[in-house]
Amino acid sequence: MKYSETARRSFLRGMLGAGTVAAVTGYTAETARAATSPATVTEPLAQLPAVPFHGAHQAGILPAAQRQAATVAFDVTAGSRGELTGLLQAISSRIAFLTVGGTPPPTGIMGPPSDSGILGPVVVPDGLTVTVGVGASLFDSRYGLADRKPARLAPMTTFPNDDLDAAQCGGDISLVLAAGQRDTVLHALRDITRHTEVAMQVRWRIDGFTSAPRPSGTPRNLMGFMDGISNPDTTDAAQMDGLVWAAPDAGEPAWTAGGSYQVIRLIRMFAEFWDRVSVTEQERMFGRRRDNGAPLDANGEFDVPDYAADPAGAVIPLDAHIRLANPRTPQTADSRILRRAYNYDRGTDNVGDLDMGLIFTCYQQNPHRQFEAVQARLIDEPLVDYISPFGGGYFFALPGVRDQDDYLGRTMLA
Amino acid sequence: MAMRRRVNRMVGLAGLCLAVGCSRSPTAVSAQAATSVLPGIPITVSSIVCGAGWEHAATGLQTFQIHDVSPDPVDVSLTNAQTGGVYTEIEGIGPGTTRPMQADVGSGAYAFVCDVSGGARVTGPTTTIPGKIPGGAAMVPPDVAGTLAAVTSERAYVTAGLATAGHQVSLLEADIAARDLPAARSAWLTAHLTYERLGSAYGMFGSYDDAIDGSPDGLAGGVNDPSFTGFYRVEYGLWHGQSAAQLIGSARLLYRDLQSLRTAYPGMILYPQAALSDLALRTHEIIEHAIRFQLSGADDFGSGTTLATAEANIDATRAQLGMLRPVLASWQPELAGVYSWLDRLQRLIQAERAGGHWTPVSGLSTSQREQIDSAAAETVQLLAPIASMFESSPLP
Repeated sequence: MKYSETARRSFLRGMLGAGTVAAVTGYTAETARAATSPATVTEPLAQLPAVPFHGAHQAGILPAAQRQAATVAFDVTAGSRGELTGLLQAISSRIAFLTVGGTPPPTGIMGPPSDSGILGPVVVPDGLTVTVGVGASLFDSRYGLADRKPARLAPMTTFPNDDLDAAQCGGDISLVLAAGQRDTVLHALRDITRHTEVAMQVRWRIDGFTSAPRPSGTPRNLMGFMDGISNPDTTDAAQMDGLVWAAPDAGEPAWTAGGSYQVIRLIRMFAEFWDRVSVTEQERMFGRRRDNGAPLDANGEFDVPDYAADPAGAVIPLDAHIRLANPRTPQTADSRILRRAYNYDRGTDNVGDLDMGLIFTCYQQNPHRQFEAVQARLIDEPLVDYISPFGGGYFFALPGVRDQDDYLGRTMLA
Repeated sequence: MAMRRRVNRMVGLAGLCLAVGCSRSPTAVSAQAATSVLPGIPITVSSIVCGAGWEHAATGLQTFQIHDVSPDPVDVSLTNAQTGGVYTEIEGIGPGTTRPMQADVGSGAYAFVCDVSGGARVTGPTTTIPGKIPGGAAMVPPDVAGTLAAVTSERAYVTAGLATAGHQVSLLEADIAARDLPAARSAWLTAHLTYERLGSAYGMFGSYDDAIDGSPDGLAGGVNDPSFTGFYRVEYGLWHGQSAAQLIGSARLLYRDLQSLRTAYPGMILYPQAALSDLALRTHEIIEHAIRFQLSGADDFGSGTTLATAEANIDATRAQLGMLRPVLASWQPELAGVYSWLDRLQRLIQAERAGGHWTPVSGLSTSQREQIDSAAAETVQLLAPIASMFESSPLP
């Protein structure tokens, strides 16, 4: 007999005749004391500092991928443009709270608790970022936004090696929630959906994680290879302006300033098959060493491959993944993308095979010039036998929220 | 339906509220302020003192550390000393233990009220905070007249609904006896919707409801289990090619079970205050269950009419709100929002009926389903506070 039952006694003592009356028995001070002696005492968890929500850009785009993430696509059910505005305001105000943290307001007896409690009585920020994107479908006839659509935003292209499931593709809004701990991510997702169910519904969701560096350096994907070694320098503002942030002077609506095109591709890896491939073949497919991430023509993880010195692909095959993805020529320099991928693990499929892979996510200024150009070069690369893209979508990550009076998408709706 | 009843028969599980967004939270307190949560204001309660220790009272988010120095569990409420309204409460603070109580304190007169288990009620000293700073809302306990009015009207509603359902099931049985299965399918839907319109009462019906409207969940043989009875058993047969001869037994049993329930119902009595709590709890649970079992299609045993059931559940919710009106006088603005979303949900569901035929949930487009799910989610969010407000208000 614990608190949960005694707490109900004012109801139970009112019952006559119907149902079961649970008597409050056996309650003693001893049981109370016993309940307060935990078997295991654990130290408080180190918490990541808060990542400021307000700024010219959304806060989750440039930082390195966090340890835990959830990628969720929603369909908007708002009945009007006004309700859509309310939705984006609600998302913004929840993110503003969740990324700072604090004590949720008490509701007394006037309602259920205002917070799920899974982070304890005081919400901690734990480095949370929530990156919000909009899909091409949001710009259909429903909300009168057709003339506001970012110039290069379109439904996701189906590439020749894809096996897309429509139920796991697209969506009006994307949320990428990322933080230090999985409970932080889930708390944020639960809080946001609780406040926004009225105007949007989950279309698809996938949870991701970043592996710890093994043993050091860039974290590995679930094929065992370091993934994302060669990313643009996020501390170089000029490079970010040229590769990541939308350029309103290039045919884009003015409101897109500060935003970025977000491409999400859900890619299953056939882990069992992959594990039956020799390491030499694996390495030649990627073009990098599996043990330390070095390009096959060099010794260190961050060494730059010299394709000019290997024109026939004797060391790094011409169809190796890294060589096709980034040929490192002046002509392809502006097709580079900012990769922010997460590994995923969804248990097993219905025939017992491991269901794991990559939530490929990247940001760029122009998806035609960048992701699609890269992906076109990768068509029929040797790696395609071991992977299967099955979902995802193209979104436009909205410009940042300047301050407390601003909200996500304000300039889009203005 | 078996699971939902077992889970929810006790009012205490109101905390299960799955769509907890019920309250649109006001501004949260900053992380800096949060660090003061643990210390709080020490408050002593017992059968002699109640609320000793609240000095230098201030407005804003306050945390009281309520310490029970008596040998018995104590229920402690923070009340408005003038109206008796309750801001917040903790039930069953154990002897020798300390529990935090948070409240958004504004200007006004406050008093702690302590109910010692098996003992008297003690009202503590009044603490007055001057000024005009707004704080959290208080729930004024329903008066006797309002409580009795709500409870009496519910009993009349259920009694009448059971009589109608009984008659309609007799027609269903007659159609099956006459081997007119098309007519039986129509009669089944009519009778089932009448039963689903009863709304709040299923919790009290107990095992009767298991027999009358239970699903085969928990039965080893599933839909073929001999213990699978009631509306869903008959539905399964009517829409899975079973013959009248195969079904007549189930139909007769359903009729008998309903008659047994009608006979037993007058004896199923709760104290008025408990009956009110029960009624209030189920005012949001009806739609919670509709979301879980009907809008999901889980309780579709062949007829494809779970949207019709959901609409009957909306009717039931409206009926209950009508019964609660006498005790919801201070909640009128919120109630208007509830009705507005019930209307919206009902319109979306009614759009799925054409020429007497209902779209099964599996036949909805993604967009249609999402529109309905959004409206249902908002409806339960708005309804959920009613359960909290009447969860354990003191006996009038």
